[in-house]
Amino acid sequence: MDGDLQAVTLLAQQPTRQHDTQHRRLERWAPGLAVLLGVALALIPVAATVLRSLMVDGSDALTIVNYQRLFADPRVHLAARNTLVIGVFVTLGSGLLGVLLAWIVSRTDIPGRKTFELLNLVPFFTSPYVGAMAWQYLTAPNSGLLVNLARNWFGLDLSYLRINSIGGVIWVLVLFYTPFIYLFVIGPLRNLNGALEDAARVHGLGFIDTMRRITLPLLAPALLSGAIVVFVTSAGLFDVPVILATPYSIPTVPALIFESIGYPSDFGRAAALGSMMMAVIVLLIVLQRMYIGQKRYETVSGKGYSPRTAKLSRITRAACFAVEIFYVGFGAVLPLIAVLLVALSPLWRGWFDPARATLENFRYVLEEFDLTRHAIFNSTFLSVLGATLVVALGFLQAYRLQSRQGWIAKILQPVLSMPNGIPGIIFGLGILILLIRTPLYGTYWIILIAYVAHYFPFAMRSLGAVLLSLSPELEQSARSCGATWWQTLRMVVIPLARPGLIATWLMVFIILLRELGSTILLYGQGTETIGVAMLLLSEQNFHYVAALAIVQVALLSLAFALLSRNSKSLFQ
Amino acid sequence: MKRMTMASLVIASIISAGTARAQAPALNGVNDAEKARVSALVTEAAKEGALTYWDTVLQPATKNALLPAFIEHYGLPKSFRIEFSEIAPSNMITRLEQEAKAGRATVDVAAVASPIWVAAQARAGALMKYDSPEYKNYSVVAEAGLVEVGSYAFNGAYVFVPLWDPDKVKVAGDSWKDVLGVLQEGRVSVGNGAASDATIMTYIGLKTAMGKDYVEALAAKKPVFIPKSETIASRVVAGEDTMAFMGMPTRAYQMNQKGANLKYLLPKEGVTLLPQNFFIMANASHPAASKLWFDFILSEKGQKIIVEKEAMISGRNGFVSPLPDYAPPISQLHLVHIDWNKMTPEDLQAARREWMAIFKQ
Repeated sequence: MDGDLQAVTLLAQQPTRQHDTQHRRLERWAPGLAVLLGVALALIPVAATVLRSLMVDGSDALTIVNYQRLFADPRVHLAARNTLVIGVFVTLGSGLLGVLLAWIVSRTDIPGRKTFELLNLVPFFTSPYVGAMAWQYLTAPNSGLLVNLARNWFGLDLSYLRINSIGGVIWVLVLFYTPFIYLFVIGPLRNLNGALEDAARVHGLGFIDTMRRITLPLLAPALLSGAIVVFVTSAGLFDVPVILATPYSIPTVPALIFESIGYPSDFGRAAALGSMMMAVIVLLIVLQRMYIGQKRYETVSGKGYSPRTAKLSRITRAACFAVEIFYVGFGAVLPLIAVLLVALSPLWRGWFDPARATLENFRYVLEEFDLTRHAIFNSTFLSVLGATLVVALGFLQAYRLQSRQGWIAKILQPVLSMPNGIPGIIFGLGILILLIRTPLYGTYWIILIAYVAHYFPFAMRSLGAVLLSLSPELEQSARSCGATWWQTLRMVVIPLARPGLIATWLMVFIILLRELGSTILLYGQGTETIGVAMLLLSEQNFHYVAALAIVQVALLSLAFALLSRNSKSLFQ
Repeated sequence: MKRMTMASLVIASIISAGTARAQAPALNGVNDAEKARVSALVTEAAKEGALTYWDTVLQPATKNALLPAFIEHYGLPKSFRIEFSEIAPSNMITRLEQEAKAGRATVDVAAVASPIWVAAQARAGALMKYDSPEYKNYSVVAEAGLVEVGSYAFNGAYVFVPLWDPDKVKVAGDSWKDVLGVLQEGRVSVGNGAASDATIMTYIGLKTAMGKDYVEALAAKKPVFIPKSETIASRVVAGEDTMAFMGMPTRAYQMNQKGANLKYLLPKEGVTLLPQNFFIMANASHPAASKLWFDFILSEKGQKIIVEKEAMISGRNGFVSPLPDYAPPISQLHLVHIDWNKMTPEDLQAARREWMAIFKQ
């Protein structure tokens, strides 16, 4: 192991006393500062939002009038109900599908499971906004491609699909959030001790009962964590409802927040809506921690074990294969085909006409529309810098919390995890309220702050798991050989954690590249990102959006290709 | 001596010819004072090198046609840039209000059909005071209260009227009532009244011309609320909606050029004119370039490009529309008269609440 060898050679590099003092200072302050910065980034925007919710425009006095107005508004009641329904059903749907897909690729012998392992992630790389647009073109009741295909070729009426409904929103979100659950549970499923399942079967439990009473309970921490992330992000997403539901008078809370910030703007109302949603999220996190805290889930011991691969019957194997084809087909292939066909059409008449296919939309987006070039540059710049800062901050925080497990760490961990559970639009609102009167407004830096503040918990959690897998003995050996903290970090810990660091960086990069929730509130002239450019292009022509979406998919595919090289670390 | 005089004359004539060649078209036929003013602005604008322009109607392709004409008109360097965004009205107003709160100005010049909001901004001192020489060419619309000399003009106007694909639906007659008769439930679109002033202004006009009952009958058809005129027209072309109740002839023109077949109606009871208010922000960071852009857009040359590309209705006195079918002269339109100057932002909000109650939006 290179790290160990390097650590041993450190004996020859005895630091001077001055260097030693500097390194001790660095060791003491750097991770601690990262934690403090994280706490500030997590709490200050939230506090700003809550404070702003207690104020009305033109007055500094604190009041609950914004909340009173919300409670009296039937539209808010309807929006809250719709949002709850969306959150619950998306969580159930993607939970079911995510666990099933993870189980199929990790615990069965279906052919091509290595390929499916990666293909299941493709929807994660497509922006939900583009996904919603694609499904609108596929299943719009009077002009959808699938609707017309079924009608013209098979005489079938698919207008009952009703994509412009709560059900339509749930369908699209289930497809796009399944990879979240999949990623959360695939590692634990792989690491599950097969002996426990064998014991259950020996004692007479069938497959379903073993899943229900052994496998799923053991997955509970990962599944609950994933479920909460899916619940809050799907319920807090505004870009899918804004395409599929808002035009049809179907309100949702995030769409109301977006509407409240827009003209005629009412920041107090937006902040009150955001605060109420945050209160629900905090309550959910507390309940999740209470539930998990009451039970024990350790299945990994010092004894060697291996997860069992289920030998499927032909019928079950065909059924699993069909599930995979269904998911990859509906989650990735069909939406991408729809987007490509729209991008190649000068006008959409509900049908693709190859005779009129053109690259004009690509030419317009890439050559004539100045914003595209800015947006591609801005998105890449912000995603690279953001992912780097997020990973650096998350790594130091994970390191600090791992090395000193006390009551402070126990309190800080949920606080530091909080931003990840807050929908982007609400977090963006907090940053906007906080920084609107500063020189940061309208610059790259306000967006970067929002990105780092919103996504550092993701890196902290991922890298925490990576650090947990490294034996503390390695670090202790280096230190006993005379290495300073920084040298140990640089030559032992970071090289060993490198696959995890790269995978986390790429995941954050991908998330930031398609980010829209907070960017939409914070961008200014010249700082538009690809997501913002898409929204602006959608105000001109969806064909242009489709062309830009294809460009975005190409960029994300590049990241996907890099990620697939690190897939082992990702799935672990 | 004679030889020297001859040489001086030759040199002077070469210089003079050179000057004549270099003189920008904008300086032709104007008096010395105006020439000096424009020259000074051109020098400053060249130093500024760029300006930022946001518009809720003009598309980037139109900006791309306007920019070289603008550069040539004033003899600006070819490197002069315009940072342009076509942006939805509610988004634009939100951004401009946020910039005002932040004390920043990234936008120099903007255009949005929201006369009440723009007038409020002018009163609050958020718009630059600029006595453009072009105002004199807009005296008729200024008298009608659509332009406030020194604060804002309009770079074009439009109307929201019924728009449909004649292959899919037939409209017989020329009344709003005839349109109501052919609407199919759930397959008609209107604007997004929750966020768009232009939609609410059209609603006020429609109510004035046809009464509230008519609007309630429209609401009973369960329309879809679409925020942008391009999407409204696209949905008709795709066959998703059979009628855009608040369609824009501009978009019909642009889509028909791409092969669509859209028709629109100017109902006999009258239509509401929506002036695309055009103004410079008070703290514009490129003030000289902004003033030249303001003048150019309002000039005959600028208006011609805008009408040809966007089929908008020009407010310039005596302007001859190159697209009379889609952008008829204001004088030929039967307009519902509403004095926007007498309305306050609160009045507009009250109308918005009324709209939202009727349409259950």
